[in-house]
Amino acid sequence: MAAAGGLPASATLLLLVIAAVAVAPLASAVRPVSDAHRSAAAELFAASPDGSFGDLETTYEAVRTFQILGVEKDKGLIGKACKFAAEKLASSSSSPAKDLFHAARISGVLKCSVDSGVYDDVATRLKAVIKDTNSLLELYYSVGGLLSIKEQGHNVVLPDADNTFHAIKALSQSDGRWRYDTNSAESSTFAAGIALEALSAVISLADSEVDSSMIAVVKNDIVKLFDTIKSYDDGTFYFDEKHVDAAEYKGPITTSASVVRGVTSFAAVASGKLNIPGEKILGLAKFFLGIGLPGSAKDCFNQIEVFVPLVLSLPSKVFSLTSKDQLKVEVTTVFGSAAPPLRVNLVQVLGSDSKVITTETKELQFDLDNNVHYLDIAPLKIDVGKYSLVFEISLQEQEHETIYATGGTNTEAIFVTGLIKVDKAEIGISDNDAGTVESVQKIDLQKDTSVSLSANHLQKLRLSFQLSTPLGKTFKPHQVFLKLKHDESKVEHLFVVPGSARQFKIDFLGLVEKFYYLSGRYDLELAVGDAAMENSFLRALGHIELDLPEAPEKAPKPPAQAVDPFSKFGPKKEISHIFRSPEKRPPKELSFAFTGLTLLPIVGFLIGLMRLGVNLKNFPSLPAPAAFASLFHAGIGAVLLLYVLFWIKLDLFTTLKYLSFLGVFLVFVGHRALSYLSSTSAKQKTA
Amino acid sequence: MAAPRHHHLALAVAVALLVVTAAAADEGGPRGRRVLVLVDDLAVRSSHSAFFASLQGRGLDLDFRLADDPKLSLHRYGQYLYDGLVLFAPSTPRFGGSVDQNSILEFIDAGHDMILAADSSASDLIRGIATECGVDFDESRVYGWCQDPEAMVIDHINYAATDAEGDHTLIAGDDLIQSDVILGSKKIEAPVLFRGIGHAVNPSNSLVLKVLSASPSAYSANPKSKLASPPSLTGSAISLVSVMQARNNARVLISGSLDLFSNRFLKSGVQKAGSKIRHEKAGNEQFVTETSKWVFHERGHLKAVNVKHNKVGETNEPGMYRINDDLEYSVEIYEWSGTSWKPYVADDVQVQFYMMSPYVLKTLSTDKKGVFSTSFKVPDVYGVFQFKVEYQRLGYTGLSLSKQIPVRPYRHNEYERFITSAYPYYAASFSTMGAFFIFSFVYLYHK
Repeated sequence: MAAAGGLPASATLLLLVIAAVAVAPLASAVRPVSDAHRSAAAELFAASPDGSFGDLETTYEAVRTFQILGVEKDKGLIGKACKFAAEKLASSSSSPAKDLFHAARISGVLKCSVDSGVYDDVATRLKAVIKDTNSLLELYYSVGGLLSIKEQGHNVVLPDADNTFHAIKALSQSDGRWRYDTNSAESSTFAAGIALEALSAVISLADSEVDSSMIAVVKNDIVKLFDTIKSYDDGTFYFDEKHVDAAEYKGPITTSASVVRGVTSFAAVASGKLNIPGEKILGLAKFFLGIGLPGSAKDCFNQIEVFVPLVLSLPSKVFSLTSKDQLKVEVTTVFGSAAPPLRVNLVQVLGSDSKVITTETKELQFDLDNNVHYLDIAPLKIDVGKYSLVFEISLQEQEHETIYATGGTNTEAIFVTGLIKVDKAEIGISDNDAGTVESVQKIDLQKDTSVSLSANHLQKLRLSFQLSTPLGKTFKPHQVFLKLKHDESKVEHLFVVPGSARQFKIDFLGLVEKFYYLSGRYDLELAVGDAAMENSFLRALGHIELDLPEAPEKAPKPPAQAVDPFSKFGPKKEISHIFRSPEKRPPKELSFAFTGLTLLPIVGFLIGLMRLGVNLKNFPSLPAPAAFASLFHAGIGAVLLLYVLFWIKLDLFTTLKYLSFLGVFLVFVGHRALSYLSSTSAKQKTA
Repeated sequence: MAAPRHHHLALAVAVALLVVTAAAADEGGPRGRRVLVLVDDLAVRSSHSAFFASLQGRGLDLDFRLADDPKLSLHRYGQYLYDGLVLFAPSTPRFGGSVDQNSILEFIDAGHDMILAADSSASDLIRGIATECGVDFDESRVYGWCQDPEAMVIDHINYAATDAEGDHTLIAGDDLIQSDVILGSKKIEAPVLFRGIGHAVNPSNSLVLKVLSASPSAYSANPKSKLASPPSLTGSAISLVSVMQARNNARVLISGSLDLFSNRFLKSGVQKAGSKIRHEKAGNEQFVTETSKWVFHERGHLKAVNVKHNKVGETNEPGMYRINDDLEYSVEIYEWSGTSWKPYVADDVQVQFYMMSPYVLKTLSTDKKGVFSTSFKVPDVYGVFQFKVEYQRLGYTGLSLSKQIPVRPYRHNEYERFITSAYPYYAASFSTMGAFFIFSFVYLYHK
C-alpha cells in the first residue's frame, strides 16, 4: 500500500531530477519513511469523536497523508469525509473557492461518487472566480479545483488558459518569488510554490498548447528561486521566507514543501529539462527526512506529500564481533519500498583517523526476502573500533540508469564492537624509593572484589591489567577511571589510567594536599568503558586504608558535598512547651491539722474567760449610752465582717470604700460610747 | 403578600447563584498562560512540535520568537508581557532587542517560570543564565593548545541500545527523583533518552534538585578525542536535568539536552543496553509533559486561606491570649490541579507558636477536605508570639504564614484564692479577730 502510494509520486520528482540522484550519504540519522511515520500520522490526524477531522483543509491533509502512507481508515470515516465534501460541492454558488478546492480534492482522494451535474456547477463557479479575481490564492484554489475535477474523469477545459497563465505570472517578482495579489508589496517564497502549482494546473487544463516562451520564462524563475535556497552546515537545503513576519510566518517546512510541490508539478506538465543543481534536490530531501518524526499535523502532511528518491541506509551502525553480525545495507526509496535490482559493493574501509584499512572491493550479497544487502564482517579482518565504510551502488539494468543514478560513493560510519579480554589484573602497594613490592594481589575484574590495602603517604598504589581485543591486540579504551572515595567526607578523587602504561601508579606523596590530608578508608572503583567494548564495566575493587600526615593550619578544606534534598524537606521534630510545675504543697490533712492547732488558743481564751467568770455588768443601763455602745460593737463587728468579705470576694477598693464609711461611723459612736464609759468610771472613782 | 415575597426570595437566590458562578469562573490558576518561546532556529518549532502541542493543549499561549529578534522584549510599560519562558536557543550568543542575561534573571526574580534547554553548542550566555540558577554546565576545557567545547555525557553501560550512532552518547536515564509532585503520580517506566551536556548542581544551593541524574558509570567528555586529564564531571554527580524553585516560587527547569524535548525522542522506542525489555516509547513524552506541568505551576502550587485561631469552646478570634489558655488553630490549604483548587492532603504540615524560637511546634491533622487543625495550650511565658506555618516540601511551593498574637500573664485576681495550705493562717487571723471582738466586750464591761 505504501509503495503503491509512494512510487507514482516519486516518479514525478524523478522527472524533475533528470540527473537522478540516490540519496545516500545523508546525515547519520536519516532513515526512510517507516511505520513510525504511519503511527505518528494516525496519532496526529486523530479524528475527533464525531468522526470528522475538523475543517476541509485538515480533512484533505488527513486523507491524503493516509493515502500516501497506506494507513487504513475504516469505511465510516471515509463516508463521513465524502459526505462532508459532497455537501460543500452541492452548495457551490455560496462556497468560497478554497472550500470547493479542498472538497474536490477530498472526493478525488477518497474516490467518492459525485454527480457530474454537481461538478458542472462547481466548474462554472470556479471559472467565474478565475475571471474576477487577481488574488493568487483565489486563482490557485479555483485552478486547482478544476484540475482535481478533471483528474476525476470529468471533462473540464479552461477556455482562456493563456489569460489565466498571464494573470498568475503577472504576480511574479524578479527574484523568482511571488506576490499574493497585485496590491501587496511583499513577495513570498511560499506564494511562489503555490503559483507554480497553479501554473502547472493551468497548463494541464488548457485546451490548446500554452505559449512555450512563457513556460521558458517560468523555468527561468524557478532557477532564480533556487538561488534563494538556504542551507545548513551539513548540506541540508531548505526554503524560507526572506522577511520573517511572525503572524503569517509558515516555517521552513511548509515553505519548502510548497516550493517543492510547485516545482515538481510544473516539471511534470512542462516539457523540457529544468536546470536545477542535483545537490540542492538532495539537500531538500535531507531536510525533509532529517525532520524525523513530525509533530504537528501540518508538518506531517508537508513531509509526506513531497518526496525524495532513494536512500542507502544501514539498519544498524553497530556491529558486534561477538555475535558475528552481518553488515547489512538497505537501498530503498524514501517510502521504504524496494529499489530496482542493483549491486552494492564495499570498496574501502577507513579507520577512525582516516587511515585506509583495506581497499579490496567486496560485493554484498542480496537477500530477497528481507530486501537487504549483506556481508559477513569476519572475513574483513577488522578489529573493534570506529570505521568508515565506502559503498558503491551499481544498477543491474541499463534502462534504470536514466532514472536512478549510481553516481558517487556513499560513506557510512560504523562501530565494530566486541568482547575485550581483561586479564593479569593486579593491585598492590609499593614503597616509594626502593620499588620493592610489599603486597600484590591478583584480582578478578569479572566481578566485584574486595581487597583491603593500607598505605601511608610515602607509598604508592599500583594497579595493572591488560586489555586485548578479539584479534589479540592491545586495546585502549576511552574511559579508564580509577576512583578513590573517602568514606567519611565522600570526597572523590578520579584518576585517568593512561591507555599506554601497562602499570598505573598513584604516588600518594604528591597527592597529600589534593587529598586534603584526610586519612582513613577510601573505596576503590575502576571503570573501564569504550564505545567498541561490549563488556564495559564499573567494578568495586575494595578499599585502601590511607595514613596521611596531620593537616597543617593553612591546608585547604575539602569541598562541601551536596546534601540529600530529602533531608532538608522532611517535617521537623515536634516541640512541646515544658510548663513550670506548680509549687509543692503540704498534704491537705496536715493543713487541716494545723488549722485545728491555730484554733486552739481561741478555745483556751474562751475557756479562760469562763473560768474567770466574766460578766458584762459595766454595760450602760441608760438607753442612749447603751444604744451607742451597741452601735460601737456592731461597727467593730461590721469591720471584722468586712475583712471576711474582703477575703472571700471583695477587692481592695470596694473594701476601703466601705471601711472609710464604717471608720467615720465607728469614730463617732466609739467616741460617744467610750467617753460615757470613762465619765462613769471617773464618777465612781471620785465617789 | 406571600407571593411577592417568595418572588423576591427566588430573585435573591438567583443573584447569589450568579455571584457564586462568577466567582468560580474568576478563580484562576496561580500563573498566567502567556509563554514566550525563544528558539535559535525556527525549525525547532517543527522538530519539537509535539512538546509545544502538549503545552498548547494545556491552555498555554505560546509566542514563538527568534532569540535574536531585534523587537524582542520581555516587558512593556513596566508590565511583563509573558508569564513563562521556554529557552530553546542553546547556541544564541546574545538575545535581540532589550533582552539580555540580566533581564532574563529579573524575569525569574519577578516570579516567572522558565524551561531552559542546552546542548553541546551551548553559548556563554546560556551557561551564564544556568549558572545564576545554580547549575554549572560542564565548561569547555582546555586540552593542551586547543579548546574542546564538544564535551557530552557518555555512558558505556547505561546507553540506549537503539542508538544508531554507536558512540554511547544517547543516554537511557532512569535515575529519576522520587517525587510525585514533579514527575506526576504515574511512574515513568521507560528510560528517558538524553543526548547532550551534563551539569553539576551547586552543593551550596539548596534550591536546586537533580531530577534526572546520570548513572555512576557516566562521564562527561568529548567522545571523539582521547582523555588526557580526568573529566570534571563523572558518575552520579552529573545531573542531566535539574529543577530550581526559587524562594519566590519561580520555577526553572534546566536540561543539558534540547533533543530530550524533540519529537524524535518523544516518539521513538527505547531499549537500554543489556536489558531485555524494549519500550515502545521512551519515557521522554511523559517526562517532559509532567515536568512542564510542574514548571508552569499546574501542579504543586499551594495556597493557604482562612487562617483561624480561637480559644477552645469559642469561635471568635481573641485579640490576646492568657498564658495556659487552650487554643485551636486551623488553616485551609488547597493545591492547584491545573483546572481547579483541590484540597491538599498531607500529614506533615506543622504550626509553630513562635517568639524568638518556637515554643510549640505541632503537626496539624487534616480532615482531607483541605482543613488542617490542631489545638494546644499556650505556654506559660508571656510576650508577643506568632503563629507560624513554614511549609517547605520537595516540589511544592513554599507556604509561609505568620500571625502575631500577644500573650499576657494572669491578672491579680485570676490567681487561686483559697489555698488549703494557707488555712492555718486564715484560721489564726480570724480567730484573733473573733477573740478581739469578744475581748473588747470583756475589757469594757467587765466589773
